[in-house]
Amino acid sequence: MKRYVLRRLAVLIPTLLGMSFLVFSVASLTPGDPAEEYAQRVSDRPPTEEQLRLARQELRLDRPFVVQYVSWVGHALRGDLGKSFFTRRPVVDEILHRIPFTLQLAVPAALLSLLLAVAVGTLCAFYRNRLVDQVVRILSLAGASMPSFWLALILIILFSVRLHIFPVAGRQAGLSSVVLPVIALSLPSAAVLGRFIRSTLLEVLGEDYIRTARSKGVREVSVLSRHALRNSLVPVVTAFGTSLGHLLAGTVVIESIFAWPGLGTLTLDAIRHRDYPMLQAFILFSGLVVIAINLIVDVSYAAIDPRIRPGRRSSATR
Amino acid sequence: MIRALHRRLLVVVVLALLAAACSSDGGDGGAGDAAQPAPRQELTVGVTQDQYTTDGPQASLGVAGPNANIYETLLYMGPNFEIKPMLAERWEFRAPNTFRFFLRRGVKFHDGQPLNAQAVKVGVFDRAAAAGGLTLKAGPESTVVVDEYTLDFTPKIPNLRLFEQIVHASYPVIAPNSEVGKKPVGTGPFRFVEYVAKERIVVERNPDYWGTPAILDKLSFRFYPDSSARRLALEAGEIDVAFDIPRADVKSLKATGVNVPASPVGGYQVLFADLTGKAPYDLMADVNLRKAVAYAIDRRALISGVLDGLATPDQSMVPSPALGAHASVVKGIQFDVAQSRRILDDAGWRVGSGGIREKDGRQLKLVLVSGFPSAEVLRPIPAFVQAQLKTVGIDVTIDERPDSASFRDRIRLKEGDLFLEQRSQNDADPSFLPVVFMSDISEGGAAPYQAAFNPGQPFNGLLRSTLTEASIDKVQASVAQAMRNAVDEQATVIGLAGVYPIYGVRSNVQGFVAHPTTQNVLFGTVRIGKA
Repeated sequence: MKRYVLRRLAVLIPTLLGMSFLVFSVASLTPGDPAEEYAQRVSDRPPTEEQLRLARQELRLDRPFVVQYVSWVGHALRGDLGKSFFTRRPVVDEILHRIPFTLQLAVPAALLSLLLAVAVGTLCAFYRNRLVDQVVRILSLAGASMPSFWLALILIILFSVRLHIFPVAGRQAGLSSVVLPVIALSLPSAAVLGRFIRSTLLEVLGEDYIRTARSKGVREVSVLSRHALRNSLVPVVTAFGTSLGHLLAGTVVIESIFAWPGLGTLTLDAIRHRDYPMLQAFILFSGLVVIAINLIVDVSYAAIDPRIRPGRRSSATR
Repeated sequence: MIRALHRRLLVVVVLALLAAACSSDGGDGGAGDAAQPAPRQELTVGVTQDQYTTDGPQASLGVAGPNANIYETLLYMGPNFEIKPMLAERWEFRAPNTFRFFLRRGVKFHDGQPLNAQAVKVGVFDRAAAAGGLTLKAGPESTVVVDEYTLDFTPKIPNLRLFEQIVHASYPVIAPNSEVGKKPVGTGPFRFVEYVAKERIVVERNPDYWGTPAILDKLSFRFYPDSSARRLALEAGEIDVAFDIPRADVKSLKATGVNVPASPVGGYQVLFADLTGKAPYDLMADVNLRKAVAYAIDRRALISGVLDGLATPDQSMVPSPALGAHASVVKGIQFDVAQSRRILDDAGWRVGSGGIREKDGRQLKLVLVSGFPSAEVLRPIPAFVQAQLKTVGIDVTIDERPDSASFRDRIRLKEGDLFLEQRSQNDADPSFLPVVFMSDISEGGAAPYQAAFNPGQPFNGLLRSTLTEASIDKVQASVAQAMRNAVDEQATVIGLAGVYPIYGVRSNVQGFVAHPTTQNVLFGTVRIGKA
């Protein structure tokens, strides 16, 4: 196991390097001139030719692409991802400052999404093709298809404007500020995950050992919770890991609507201002998070199913 | 036993946390309060995304985006673009290129420092010089302190529009030795309390204000990047005033009792014609085609049907008050479909298959690029223009850009025939918008715009004198003539409507004065309470 984790970590280096080049290239190819955005902020009007030249010089955008990239990688290896074109503060500081705000939404949203998904999936599998199943499936289909910004606005209109239970946006109301963004963030992924759990559970429920358990007189609840659910967890964990990545992406929209000062807002601002260093750092950070989630998911297989040992091809198949 | 204890402990902790969370809403509700103190005057304003920067010499915390009323400028621009005294009581021009300011006496910064000529030199003009001079054309040697309350400013190059430019909110008088990005210190009716990036900036009444102290005890600006959330926050009563309400929301907001005060026109929705584009974006180089487009657009239908009546049919691109007695010089091209068709026929564009005109085997197809300040703000104007131009046989493809940076990129590359923008006048200089967006003046014009939209002579000649002419009346006359040339004669800029920012104000807010530029809204006279 240890060797497997170390090997995976070693693969990280070329992955990150490749990703960094991709990120750097994509940012540079984005339409819009960061020097123009920067100069406009300084003078509060579109810049003249001279102001543009000075801005390019100041932001060091007047150097060839390769030189810029090599210099960026060199600094990144020392933990310096540059200064934001917009705030002129180190981007690492900005990102570290914003992470807790995003976690305040992402962690409860992930937990809620998992909880809801397991409950919905199990319920549907238990009552397969009955009214409850059909209603929940329709609702989850609607949840999965609904754009998160639309869901967020509906929640605001219902719970903030009409019922005055939760604030519209911002963090000023303490815990109650978290409720709507967390629901808006978690529902779509819960819907997708719930449908996945249902189909996985139904598959497992058709296995011989389930029939054996039932014939032995084991109660249906125990069949479901002890035998079926646990054995369906491996693909569910994979799907959950993937949904965490989507959750991180979802924060960009949700944080903007709920005026939440996390990484999502930071990213939107970075895109708007063509703040390349910030954008590059965010994408790199997101990539790291996804890689870390995948690694954790892979390692967790062993804990869930003792027959699986990561890295051993022969035992990895059931 | 121990498990039970743990469970109980957990319940107690959860209840305590819930109680703490509930109490954070601020209800103090002391039951035994004998006398009810006068309710505090606290106002919350919802604004767009946080645009402040807090680091570096050009930090802008509290200055603009929004203007938190911490700072004041030497001169102030009123809602009708009139120049009023603020920290300067008087001002005079001293030929050939010097401007003298006589400061108000007895004014103190929030930290107790006196306002004097040296403070203004450092806090306004030297700061502008350090940023390259900005529109003031300030240099390191430009400012001379004459005495404690008098200073002279001489721009690096002739710039006789200084009085009109210095009203811009981005030229505040900043206290000496203060750090704008950390604790902004000015002379305004409110002083800084706290700033939480991307969330809020809070200010409180300055009791030592040189003028009439503000009525509000506390003024908070909250950032709502999403316009729908901002509007819903106003409807829910979470905020008292909202800036930049989407036009489409006005009717429903009014139905809930929210006031939407109108201000004079301060901005314009215009189509800039790409005059120097290469094929296939070369059609607008022809003045006949530009005029045909201008004649084919029914601006009154646009205003009543699309802009919900929240605009005017002004086409001048410069607010009427800024043009003074010469405002009527710019007539604008009036809707006349028959004239549009006639021009196209005369120019050899014949109606072909599918109703689209053709000439020498080329169809009359234009690309309309939309994106400043955002495609969302301008929607559905492109679709309206597209439908109108179709009636005269012009096929329009709409290119909505995801943000203003990519919109400007299209201008830079000249990939489009018509560029739809909404621009606002933020100072009292009548040449502000024409110089920036259409002139060939290198010291003031925006590079990509100049290359695409400059109408040439006589427009350039008329504008060139705006920096060197002392008489504001003569400048207004020149600008009006220049705009007449661009709008009426050459149709290089096709005006659609005159607009103003839309504010939403809850009915319990009194004294709010809508200003054509959000940066100049003052809160000193605003109060909470029934009229």
